[in-house]
Amino acid sequence: MYDMEGVIRENLLVCQDFYRCKIELARPMGKVIPGQFIMLKIPSAEVFLRRPFSIYDCGKQTVTILYKAVGKGTRALTSAGRKERVMVLGPLGHGFRVHQGYTPVLVAGGIGIAGLHLLWKQVKRKACFFYGCSTEQEVPLLGGIDFNTRGRTATGTRQTCGDLSSEHGQPDTPVIEPRVCTLDGSTGFCGNVVQLLKSSLSLVGEKPYVYACGPQPMFASLKALLAEKEVPCQVLVEERMACGLGLCFGCVKKTLDEAEPYKRACVEGPVFDLWQLSL
Amino acid sequence: MATLFVDLFGKTLRNPVMNASGTLGYGREIDPLWSVDTLGAYVTKGLSLKPHHGNPPPRVWEEGRGMLNSIGLQNVGLKRFFAEHFPLFRKRNTPIVVNFFGFTDEEYIECAASIEPDPLIVALEINLSCPNVTKGGICMGKEARGVFSIIKRVKETTPIPVIAKLTPEVADIVEIAQAAVSAGADGITLINTMPGAAIDLGTGRMAFRGGLSGPALKPIALKAVADVSRAVPVPVIGAGGIMDHEDAIRFLMAGARAIQVGTATFIDPFAIPKILAGLAAFMDEHGLSRLSALAGATHD
Ligand SMILES: Cc1cc2nc3c(=O)[nH]c(=O)nc-3n(C[C@H](O)[C@H](O)[C@H](O)COP(=O)(O)OP(=O)(O)OC[C@H]3O[C@@H](n4cnc5c(N)ncnc54)[C@H](O)[C@@H]3O)c2cc1C
Ligand SMILES: Cc1cc2nc3c(=O)[nH]c(=O)nc-3n(C[C@H](O)[C@H](O)[C@H](O)COP(=O)(O)O)c2cc1C
Ligand code: FES
Repeated sequence: MYDMEGVIRENLLVCQDFYRCKIELARPMGKVIPGQFIMLKIPSAEVFLRRPFSIYDCGKQTVTILYKAVGKGTRALTSAGRKERVMVLGPLGHGFRVHQGYTPVLVAGGIGIAGLHLLWKQVKRKACFFYGCSTEQEVPLLGGIDFNTRGRTATGTRQTCGDLSSEHGQPDTPVIEPRVCTLDGSTGFCGNVVQLLKSSLSLVGEKPYVYACGPQPMFASLKALLAEKEVPCQVLVEERMACGLGLCFGCVKKTLDEAEPYKRACVEGPVFDLWQLSL
Repeated sequence: MATLFVDLFGKTLRNPVMNASGTLGYGREIDPLWSVDTLGAYVTKGLSLKPHHGNPPPRVWEEGRGMLNSIGLQNVGLKRFFAEHFPLFRKRNTPIVVNFFGFTDEEYIECAASIEPDPLIVALEINLSCPNVTKGGICMGKEARGVFSIIKRVKETTPIPVIAKLTPEVADIVEIAQAAVSAGADGITLINTMPGAAIDLGTGRMAFRGGLSGPALKPIALKAVADVSRAVPVPVIGAGGIMDHEDAIRFLMAGARAIQVGTATFIDPFAIPKILAGLAAFMDEHGLSRLSALAGATHD
């Protein structure tokens, strides 16, 4: 992990309120595990603390984030132009741990897709993808995701970051096609992504392992859905952060550990085992 | 080359720059970025007799040129600190200041009694910004008489030098500092966070309450350091919004013997090493050979 100087190379509107920002770094960031994040110093005098963003994608000396303009910091970032200088601290936190012998089932809600994109790129084997957003206007967020997995081999164009899987060389065949839902039904299944997952859970194969990222309420309904069959599940949580390094204890999530319930999302997370969280 | 050595409570520290309590984890979190022996001394996270869970999230909030926090003093307790985290400082030969708190006078005394003197322990830093549960939750550090009695009893308990860390939320901080010194305090740290709040414009509700830190606090801290260092004969350690070496120098000029850097590290994890480099360069540039040449410049 390093604190790196960076230059914004692109900062594009993907769809209403959502932007993709690619930053060229002054040095290689090192190995990235999907689910890890960066702390970005936003180039605006108005913004005091850094802001955490999942590593959406990365190259040898680039990092890309996908972000939603929600408040002061992210809105200021939307007006950062090309060539603007930033500071990037990362990669940070505990990412997803992929377990062999399971079918990875990726479940993203809204901007949660930012935290799962890299995992999808790196699970070089059968996997399922469920994506939920508000309306069809947000479907372009999937644009950067390569769903054309049939026949794709492990020697494709995907070894930019750390390599996760041990199953090399085998063509990736999704168990089922990626599925999309919208809350207003304008595209795909009508409902939220957990309802979509429920409707398709029987199709995902023998031993599903769910990797999820999305808004907080999604985790509670996911827990309810997966509890009966005790489906293993890791979730990427979001919490307000100040340092991103474990220094301030500002970013905690409550877990079921009675001795020490509050764990720091920036070091013990941001990926937690769903069954260890107190929701 | 200027020397940054500083004498504090009979010990010589490598330099006058410490972290502020609660802003550098347990030390091990920053050690991979820069060794903790960079510090003049490491100040522990606020410790208590028993472990504390702390407050539910959200715990941090950005507000103007600063931040609010309500961590709620989450910590592993004194015992585990010394078993699990102190060995790093021993390995790095880094002096420490043990910051602790309690919710009753007795808890403060028990904490102090439980800490074994050690050549690496420079001092105990008593966080007096806690609610006193036996006195209807009034903050310990707000009343001169209460401060006098806690410090006096702690001094009777331990041979280790004692620093009183004061809250700025008082009518007259000089009076509180004088009470601490007359009870035997060996030093004063100024200041802790200032209670504040944020309002959500949309809902009209109180969005967050917590202690204010960062640049917004700096002028308040500088005044406290200038006023108190003039009024008491013991060393004053300055904290509050120090972001760079120029801020650090201002605190030394105001009369601080040493300084603590907190919130700055969240924005730039290398703030402390940069402040040290800047400090040394400033001394050389101005032909100053020792820090005492800066001290108290504003007192004339
Ligand atoms: C590990 C991690 C990874 C993240 N990855 C992404 C990502 O890839 N893309 C993305 O768009 N966002 C991501 N976020 C959330 C992002 O950090 C926040 O949206 C951002 O910090 C808000 O800053 P702001 O100044 O715009 O909003 P503020 O003005 O601070 O707040 C505006 C609104 O955003 C909410 N908010 C503030 N901070 C957070 C936070 N940390 N998490 C959730 N909600 C918050 C507030 O409650 C408020 O309603 C991530 C957060 C974490 C902790
Ligand atoms: C996240 C956070 C945690 C803190 N925890 C403690 C603590 O446990 N004990 C204490 O005495 N002060 C604590 N403080 C106060 C700082 O030590 C310091 O006095 C204050 O933040 C002002 O310095 P700064 O502006 O450089 O941060 C904390 C401050 C912050 C921001
Ligand atoms: S953000 Fe500071 S400890 Fe996690």
